[in-house]
Amino acid sequence: MNDDVIVDLQHVTKRFAGHTAVRDLSLRVPRGSVYGLLGPNGAGKTTSIRMVMNIIAPDEGAIRLFDLRESGQDLSRRIGYLPEERGLYKKMRVLDLLVFLAETKGVDRKSAKRQARQWIEELGLGDWVLKRVNDLSKGMQQKVQFIATVLHEPELLILDEPFSGFDPVNTQIMKDVVVRLARNGTTVLFSTHIMEQAEKLCDSVCIIAKGSKVLDGRLAEIKREHGGRTVTIAVDGGVDALHAILEDGSLVAKADRYPQYAEVELVAGASPQTLLEAIVRQRLQVRRFEAGEASLHKIFVDLVGKDAATPRAEEDRHHA
Amino acid sequence: MHKVWVIIRREFVEKVRTKWFVISTVLGPLLMASFIVVPILMAERGASRREIRVVDATTDGFGGRIVDAVRPPLPIEAELVSVSLERVESVADSLTTLVGEKQLDGYLIVTDATVANGSVEYRGKNVSSLTDMQILESVLGREVLTARLGRAGVDREVVAAAQIPVRLQTVSIRGGKVTEESGTSAFVLAYAVWIILYMSILLYGVQVMGAVVEEKTSRVIEVLVSSLRPFQLLAGKILGVGAVGLFQLSIWAVSALVLFRRRDLLLEMVGARTGGMVGAGTLPAVSVATLAIVLAYFLLGYFLYAAMFAAVAAMSNSEAEARQAQMPVVMLLVVPTVLMVGILQQPDGGMAVALSLIPFTAPIAMPVRWAAATVPLPEILGSVVLLGGTLLLVVWITARIYRVGILMYGKRPSPRELWRWVRAS
Repeated sequence: MNDDVIVDLQHVTKRFAGHTAVRDLSLRVPRGSVYGLLGPNGAGKTTSIRMVMNIIAPDEGAIRLFDLRESGQDLSRRIGYLPEERGLYKKMRVLDLLVFLAETKGVDRKSAKRQARQWIEELGLGDWVLKRVNDLSKGMQQKVQFIATVLHEPELLILDEPFSGFDPVNTQIMKDVVVRLARNGTTVLFSTHIMEQAEKLCDSVCIIAKGSKVLDGRLAEIKREHGGRTVTIAVDGGVDALHAILEDGSLVAKADRYPQYAEVELVAGASPQTLLEAIVRQRLQVRRFEAGEASLHKIFVDLVGKDAATPRAEEDRHHA
Repeated sequence: MHKVWVIIRREFVEKVRTKWFVISTVLGPLLMASFIVVPILMAERGASRREIRVVDATTDGFGGRIVDAVRPPLPIEAELVSVSLERVESVADSLTTLVGEKQLDGYLIVTDATVANGSVEYRGKNVSSLTDMQILESVLGREVLTARLGRAGVDREVVAAAQIPVRLQTVSIRGGKVTEESGTSAFVLAYAVWIILYMSILLYGVQVMGAVVEEKTSRVIEVLVSSLRPFQLLAGKILGVGAVGLFQLSIWAVSALVLFRRRDLLLEMVGARTGGMVGAGTLPAVSVATLAIVLAYFLLGYFLYAAMFAAVAAMSNSEAEARQAQMPVVMLLVVPTVLMVGILQQPDGGMAVALSLIPFTAPIAMPVRWAAATVPLPEILGSVVLLGGTLLLVVWITARIYRVGILMYGKRPSPRELWRWVRAS
């Protein structure tokens, strides 16, 4: 076993009454990486993360953190966890709450206080230190929750849908902090169903659907393998004007149509150049022509299928 | 262990800071003070004198002797109205009017029949006062006896000398030894023990339930269980609320003691006359053993019920739902209360023994039995062992229910699902 694997899941399976939430899932989060656990709602992301935190136990398989035998609770000093279900003690004062939560992770009272004050200042909550959580706006409560996650300078950050429920300003603040921490060597494991965010932040991903792994690896490699021959085209007249070209089986293997543009996968042997020539021959006014990698979203949709990729109505929240 | 301590401290500090704690802590002594002051004030108010007339239609002036007998320190004053037998009703009518006008409290009609066969009538507005009627009855009884003995030729002086009131003093025997405790004080103590245990176990048990539900509804629970094992959380919660309970109970105990010791001052403050009445009440003597038993059973009982309340909370989604689901647990606690009279009447009877051995009723039944009578040592040991064993079992089951339940939202689990939670590890 390799010391540079921070989170290691081996053939993990979890069943709930009636269905299997996670099936034979193996993944490795290398030290220092930003690792995205991607999948539609109900794919088993939260269940997987809860098993990593030892909040629920897997039925089969093994989970190791930092290549140690200890469980999540014993290693809480080294882990920062932001659950999908956010919540704080409403009646506690901000500082007391942050110090308490840090203490439950094993930080001593004195340094917990010092660090809490530091973070509170940094995120602009200075005037609210002695206020009760209840008196804070929703956005400020989100900041407090985030501080509680990173306060003890964990080596491993586990964030479950970190960008859902946060307002745009806080999302940006949080992203900046996460990026900064990652640059300083913190390993980040986060789950999301929003591919654009994963694409911006991750260097490795694991895509799961219906409890099983579909694909994992470094993001750059995945893109090279799965989307090397993609062209994005936009012309005057919208996607309808492109109809003839998109139907041309000698050029186009697959096309995703959006009102203003199309994402095109070329057949083997065809080059972007031939495609451009065909467009020019049709006398279409080109507004955008971009050859390159497919977006993660496209890869995800191709692999998982459109049905699975579309967020479903929240079902069985606690099983998700 | 350190993490459990962190939970205990938060629970204690936050609870002690709440309005609920401050108000109930202050309200307790106020209530106790009113227990001391109100009866004495009532007694003083009651000390206003009742004025009655004795309508004497006898031929030998028997009514006059009643009037002589009804005088201070008795709270009733009487005046004599002598009439002939035929005019009794018309005099009675005008006296009734006077009672109606509140110039009089009532009147007594004595005739020759009173001494002959004991028939006598009192009409008044204070007929519902047990004390007043007892005074009249005892005075009449004494005078009728004297009169009848006089007719039989016994000297009045002899009769008077023969009539002394008897006062029965009761002393309880425990473990073959005469104690300082009187019978009444044993009874009072048993009652006090029952009320304190019932109230405190229920009060603080429900607090634990509220604390667990709060964590569940506010969703803070998931952050907590990521850094603590559910058992640590459960233990910290129960110990923390228990510490709040002991803290509050000792504040109440100390203030009760101080209030009772300095009740003369208290009464002066409210302007009551501090006559001989103050000395009347004494605290029932409480031995160290009794105190130890009460404390031990409070702790065991509290832990047992707090664990059950925590399990109830873990299964529920909201405060309201938890309050519904707690019924079976509360019922267990109510059983010894309903059967309390039986326990007190026969502290060694089969029912009392059984209740003090059954773990769920023992926390209240055993200390009450102990306060009321002697309990053989083997029974106490047996009860403690049974209670302790059940406590461990309940905590074990609760920890399992708790671990699964705190992350479950939605439908409340059926007994079968619960059983699965307990078995799954």
